[in-house]
Amino acid sequence: MRAAALALSAALATSVAAGADGEASARSLTRYSAAALYNAGNAAARAGQYAQAILDYERAQLLAPLDADARRNLEVVQARAGAGSVATRDWLRRAHVGPAPALYEAGLVGLLLAGMALLARARWPRSAAAPALRLIGAAGALLLVASVIDALATAPVLKDAVVMQASAATASPTPAGATLFTVPAGETVALEDSHGAFWLIRDAQGREGWVPRSGVERVVPRATDS
Amino acid sequence: MSRSGIGEVTVRTLLSVLAACVVSFAAATAAPSGTQTLSPTEIQMGESATLTITSSGSTASEIAPPAVPGLEFNEVGQASRVQSINGVTSVSASATYQIMAQQPGVYTIPAAVPGAQPVVLTVKPGGQGGGTAGAGAPPGAGGTGAGAGANPGSSAGAAPPANASSLPSGPTQFAADGAAFVRLRLAKHSLYVGESIPVDIEVGLRDGLVASLNGPPILNGDAFTLNPLAAKPQSREEIVEGKPFTVLLWHSLLSAVKPGTLSLTLQTPLTVRFRTPRPGWGSGSNPGDPFDDPIFQNFFRGSFFNLTQKEITVSSAPASFDIEPLPSEGRPASFSGAIGHFSVSSELSEQSATAGDPLTLRLRVSGSGNFDRVRDPMLHDVPGWKTYEPSARFKPADEIGFSGEKVFEQPLIATASGALTLPPIEFSYFDPETHRYEETRTAPLTVQIAPPTGSPRVAQAPQSAPAPSTPASAAPGDGLRPDHVETSGGASTLLPPYATPAGLALPGALLVAFGLTAAWIRRGPQARADRRAQRAALDTEPWLRAMERAQTRNDPDEFFAAAREFLKRTLAARWQLSPDRVTLESVGARLGADSELTRVFKLAEEARYARLDPREIDLQLWGGKVRQQPGAEART
Repeated sequence: MRAAALALSAALATSVAAGADGEASARSLTRYSAAALYNAGNAAARAGQYAQAILDYERAQLLAPLDADARRNLEVVQARAGAGSVATRDWLRRAHVGPAPALYEAGLVGLLLAGMALLARARWPRSAAAPALRLIGAAGALLLVASVIDALATAPVLKDAVVMQASAATASPTPAGATLFTVPAGETVALEDSHGAFWLIRDAQGREGWVPRSGVERVVPRATDS
Repeated sequence: MSRSGIGEVTVRTLLSVLAACVVSFAAATAAPSGTQTLSPTEIQMGESATLTITSSGSTASEIAPPAVPGLEFNEVGQASRVQSINGVTSVSASATYQIMAQQPGVYTIPAAVPGAQPVVLTVKPGGQGGGTAGAGAPPGAGGTGAGAGANPGSSAGAAPPANASSLPSGPTQFAADGAAFVRLRLAKHSLYVGESIPVDIEVGLRDGLVASLNGPPILNGDAFTLNPLAAKPQSREEIVEGKPFTVLLWHSLLSAVKPGTLSLTLQTPLTVRFRTPRPGWGSGSNPGDPFDDPIFQNFFRGSFFNLTQKEITVSSAPASFDIEPLPSEGRPASFSGAIGHFSVSSELSEQSATAGDPLTLRLRVSGSGNFDRVRDPMLHDVPGWKTYEPSARFKPADEIGFSGEKVFEQPLIATASGALTLPPIEFSYFDPETHRYEETRTAPLTVQIAPPTGSPRVAQAPQSAPAPSTPASAAPGDGLRPDHVETSGGASTLLPPYATPAGLALPGALLVAFGLTAAWIRRGPQARADRRAQRAALDTEPWLRAMERAQTRNDPDEFFAAAREFLKRTLAARWQLSPDRVTLESVGARLGADSELTRVFKLAEEARYARLDPREIDLQLWGGKVRQQPGAEART
C-alpha cells in the first residue's frame, strides 16, 4: 500500500509535467485551431488516452462551440472513461455560440457604433440623419450585448480543468490529508482555489476537495501554471 | 490506681512505643528488594527494548543499569512510591531504560538491584541485510545504528534497511531543547540548473516530548523545487546523542532553478509538550519541590507543574549548494533540458499496414535524471506521413522517479504506399558526470504500406512540402465521428480576449473617450454661445430705463417694445436660451396664451404695426407687472 502510494506520488510528481508549460500544451501546440484540437482528441481517444482526449475536445469546443462532432465525441469518451463534467451544471455556458475572439471584436465594433451614434445625436439633435443614427446605435448595442453575453458564458470555462490522472481528493492541501473521494481521470472539474502544490476542485457532483496540481491541466492554460 | 500500677502501665507503654519504632526502623532500613522486567525480549537491529527496574527500600537515584558490552542503556523515566500501612512505611522506586544493541546477539542483563532476576535479550539482524549477524562481528558493522550515516552504504556493500537512508547525512540541528530535529541527506552539493538529485529528509521526534507532527517538511529556498512528499513516511527508532528518537524518513527529488551559491532549509511544524511551574512555586532552583527530596519531586510533580503544548516549526541546518548554469557551448538544437544519463530506443506497433490505418511509433527513454524535462522528441512534418501529437507516460524504477523509463507514443497514418522509412529520432541531454552534452538517436524504421483497398484516395509521397492535411477516416467500430479538415491559421492562445489586460483596456479606453466627448459636447460651441447669450441677457438695465422713459412720455408703443426686450433677456436667462429664441410663440407655449407676459409680447407685436391708444392702457400697471420676477412656471 505504501509502495503504491509512493509510486503514485512519484508518478504524479514527474508525469504530465510537460503539460503544465503555460500557454503551449504538453503536445507542443504553438497555435490552437478547433480542427487540430478535435483531430488530436480523436487520436488520443483511439490510443486509449481518454483524459488527454477529453482535454482536447474541451479546448476544441471553446473555439468552435457549435461543433456537434466535438460535442458528440466528448460525450462518447467521457462515457468510456466514466468521467463527468462540472460544465453540465452550468446552463449559462450554452450561451457561448461562437469563437470568443470573433465575438469580442464584434463587441468592440458594436461599442464603437453605439457610442458614435449617441454622440452624433447629442451633437446634432435635429439632424436629418437622426433616424439612421438611431438604427446604427441599436445595431451597435445589439452587438455589444451579444459580446457581453458570450463573455459571461465563457467566464466559467476559465476555471475548468481536466484531471489527467485519477487522484484522491483530500480534506486539506497536504499529502497527509484525509481522503474525501476519488476523482477519476478525465473528469472535468472547476478550480476553486489553490494552496501550495494543491488545487481545490469542485466536481460534477458538487463535491469539493484538494488534489495535487501536477495531476490537473487547465482547459485554458495560463503562463502562471508552469 | 496505685503507684506501682501506674509505673507498670508506663513501662508497658514505653516498651510498646519502643517496639513500634524498632519495627518501623527495621522496615524502613530493611535490605531493599527489587525486580526487573524486559519487554520485548527479542528485537531486531535498529529496534529497542524497555527494561524496568524496581527496587524497594531505595530511591530512584540509587538505581543504575548494569553495564553490558554491546548494549546501550538510556533512561526514559523514573518513579517513586511511599506507602504507609498500619504504621509501616515502605518506599519503592523504579527506573525505565530503553536498550539499543550495537550488534546482533544474545545478551544477559544481570540483576541491577538485589532481589532482581537476570533477563535475556535476543537481538536479531534486521532490515535488508543490515549488518553482519552473530555476536562475534566487530562493532559498528551493523546497519544504521545510533549516529550512523557518516558514509552509509559502504559497510561491506550491505544495503541499509528500507526505512533508513543510504545518502550521506548532513548536520543534525536540534530544536525545542532537543525534542526534535530535521536532517537532510544529499547525494551531492554541486549541481547544474535544472538537474535533479535524490534527497532524503529525516524528522526526528523525541518520544513523549513531541505531541504531534502537524505537516510534512516544507522547502524553504526559492532557488529549488522539491517533488511532493509521500503521505506516509517510513519510520524507525534511533538513538541520537544518547536519546531515543522516532525518525520519519521521506525520499524525494530536489532540483535547482537558478545558478549561484545558494542554500535551503526544510521546516516542519510540530506540537511539543513542556512543563511550566505553577504560579506560587517559583523560588529556588527547584521550584516544584519544597522538601528538596527526589521522592517528593516525583510524587508531587504533577501538582507543581502545568503540562503545556506549543506549536513550533523545526528547521534543518542550512544546506549550501554550488549551482552552475548549463554551458551554452556545444548545446544541440534538439536539447530540451534533460539532465542525467539516458538511452533511447524506438519501435513501431506494426511492421506492415494499409495506407490510412493508424500506426503507433513508440520511443523509450530510459536512465536516470530529470524525467520531467524529457520532452517529446518525436516526428513532425514527415513526408508521406500524417503525424499526431504524442502522449507520454513514465514508469519509475524507484520510488522517487529519479530512475525509470519514459515512453512516448505517437499515432501515425501513412498517406502514401510502399516501403516507407521513418527517420531516426534524435534525443540530446546533458550529462552532469561528463559535464557535456550527449546526443543519441534511434535507428530508422521501415514499414511496408499497402495501398488502401478499393479507394485511390492515397497518392504517392510528395517530394516537396507535405500536402494539406486530409481528413483521416475514422477507424471502424471506435464510435467516434471522423476527423476534420485542418486549415492553416489558428489562435496563439485559448485565453479569451476579454480575459487579458489588453482585451479589457481597449473597451475601457473607448468608454472613457466616449464619456469625455459627451462631456465636451454638453459644453460645446452652441452651449458656450448660449451661455454668452445668457450673460448678455442679464444686461437688462437699458431696457428698464427705456420703459421708464416711455411711461413718462405715456408712449405705449415704445413702452411695450422696451418691455419685450426686457422680458426676452430675463426669460432667456431663466430658461437658458438665447434671447432671439424667446418669441411670442415660445412664451405662449411655455406660459400659456392667457399669461400676462404673453400679453406683453402680443401688445408689443401690435405696436409694431399700429399705434396703441394710450388712453386704453395703464402703463404704470403694466410696468409693475413687468418688473416683477417673470419666473412664472411653464404651462404643462
